[in-house]
Amino acid sequence: MTIRENNPVPENPLGIDGIEFIEYATLEPLALGNILERMGFVQTARHRSREVVLYRQGPMNVIINADPDALVRSDAEPHTTVLSAIALRVRDAGAAYRHAIDMGAWAIQTRAGAMELNIPGVHGAGDSILYFVDRYQDFSIYDVDFKPTPGAPLNPPAIAGMHFFGLVQAIRRGRANEWIDFYQQLLGFCVLPEGRSFGIMPRGTLLQSPCRKFYMQLVEPPESAVDMDWDEELIRIGFGTPDVVAATRALKERGVIFVDRAPAQPNEKGALTQLYRGGVSFELVQSQLGQTS
Amino acid sequence: MNLGNFGMDTITLAGPLEAKLRASKALGFSQIMLWAKDLAAYPDGLDSAVKLVRASGLRVTGLQVMRDYEGLSGPLHDYKIDIAKSMLRLCKAVGAPLLMVCSTTSKHASGDPAHVARDLAKLATLAVPLGIRIGYEALSWGLHVNEYPASWEVVEMADHSNLGVVIDSFHILANDTPLDSISDIPGNKIALVQLSDYMWRDIHSPQERLETARHLRVFPGEGTHSHELSDLLRRIDRCGYRGDYSFEVFNDDYLQMPPEVVAARAHQAAKWVTDQVLRRSLQARERPREDMAASIAL
Repeated sequence: MTIRENNPVPENPLGIDGIEFIEYATLEPLALGNILERMGFVQTARHRSREVVLYRQGPMNVIINADPDALVRSDAEPHTTVLSAIALRVRDAGAAYRHAIDMGAWAIQTRAGAMELNIPGVHGAGDSILYFVDRYQDFSIYDVDFKPTPGAPLNPPAIAGMHFFGLVQAIRRGRANEWIDFYQQLLGFCVLPEGRSFGIMPRGTLLQSPCRKFYMQLVEPPESAVDMDWDEELIRIGFGTPDVVAATRALKERGVIFVDRAPAQPNEKGALTQLYRGGVSFELVQSQLGQTS
Repeated sequence: MNLGNFGMDTITLAGPLEAKLRASKALGFSQIMLWAKDLAAYPDGLDSAVKLVRASGLRVTGLQVMRDYEGLSGPLHDYKIDIAKSMLRLCKAVGAPLLMVCSTTSKHASGDPAHVARDLAKLATLAVPLGIRIGYEALSWGLHVNEYPASWEVVEMADHSNLGVVIDSFHILANDTPLDSISDIPGNKIALVQLSDYMWRDIHSPQERLETARHLRVFPGEGTHSHELSDLLRRIDRCGYRGDYSFEVFNDDYLQMPPEVVAARAHQAAKWVTDQVLRRSLQARERPREDMAASIAL
């Protein structure tokens, strides 16, 4: 569209600066923890009052939230595990929250208990939440609400330089432009020109975060799928690595199984894991982003 | 005739929701425009109303109507956002893919196009996660926006894919708005077309316009502006619009007739639109090609 092409250089009104954590809500925390450990994550801390666990790997934080309230779904689908939140690093969490609300985001109900951090957030795709976190430099949000896991390393290293590359979101057919404008007007994302793609899953629309540190990929249902079975929700994390082949090899040794048939055959550009319990899968994407963050 | 693109509006039909749905379906319509009050005022409650609509098998064209939304500030704006959220939740519950927004009549509202565009974009963003589109209509008695070129101006300025204009023939005819600017609007930015006519050529006062709008409309083909309506429909078709046509006919006489009788008139109107208008639009589109051929030959 001409109008979009004429847009000035995208701004970063919320001061977004990468992803602080990605959260899963699940009824099966042990099974999911096991999958994350196979992917190279280490459990480093546990929430003081809730069934919430922090896993780390290099620059990445992944939270498993097994709090019974966390997996409230608006429909009756039998999902046992969902990608339930993205926490964005921002300059000023309060200001980012107010800006997002002003631009048309839905506020979430606060869930913090006494003496717990109240992390501001708004509703994202499906039943997911976008949190805004501004304490990620001098001290972290985990210092307040989490207790370290005894004996666990504080900063477990990343396998093959793995880092957050982005998230894949399912959208209904013909809704790419609506979601592009959602992420663009609310958060300052910009859409990448058609033909630019990463990894081995080129289908869909790619949006770049205003900090240029991660991506959102919008994926419409395949031609064969019935629209009714295709919810608009986050479906997969993409991990970047400068060396996909090395990462794939190391993860295979840890027991991770990769899809090995067209069109998702692993190569130096990317790889896709099998679908694990609860519908969880991960994508590897050739990326140098980790070296700048 | 393909009735698939045409729908009734519950405002046109007498009786309880059940009777309106039944009459629409009986006359072969596959969709119906609902009003929030159809659901909110349903005697057995919202859930029962939603079940009833879903069980009818009719597709919901959209939900009417968000009033006096745009251009407000401070607590008034916050209040209206709250109302908009409730309307969006209703849309989601009943499966309405479109929320209709009428241009404001509030004296508290700013008419600054940038302010209006900002508010519309905000509503469009609010609606994205729920899978609902926003349609903005120029009410002929709107305070600042009362003709479709003005509604298109702010919708274009808002630059949001989840927002389009609603073209309503009544408001265009009532203000005698020239049709030239219809061609400025890309078909995919028209969220809905609402059709109705009325029985006299001239409207002499704002009061008469309001009275006519709310009580005395008729179906397309029944009124005195068939020529203008045909022209409008041809122009909309040439924009590339391939969406729904909804008969929004406020008429006190129709409310004293059984809904099946009124739905039969709507059926006639759909036939009139397709027979008289859409077929002619094909010829209208062919004409320029002949001109072009002629100019090439020269």
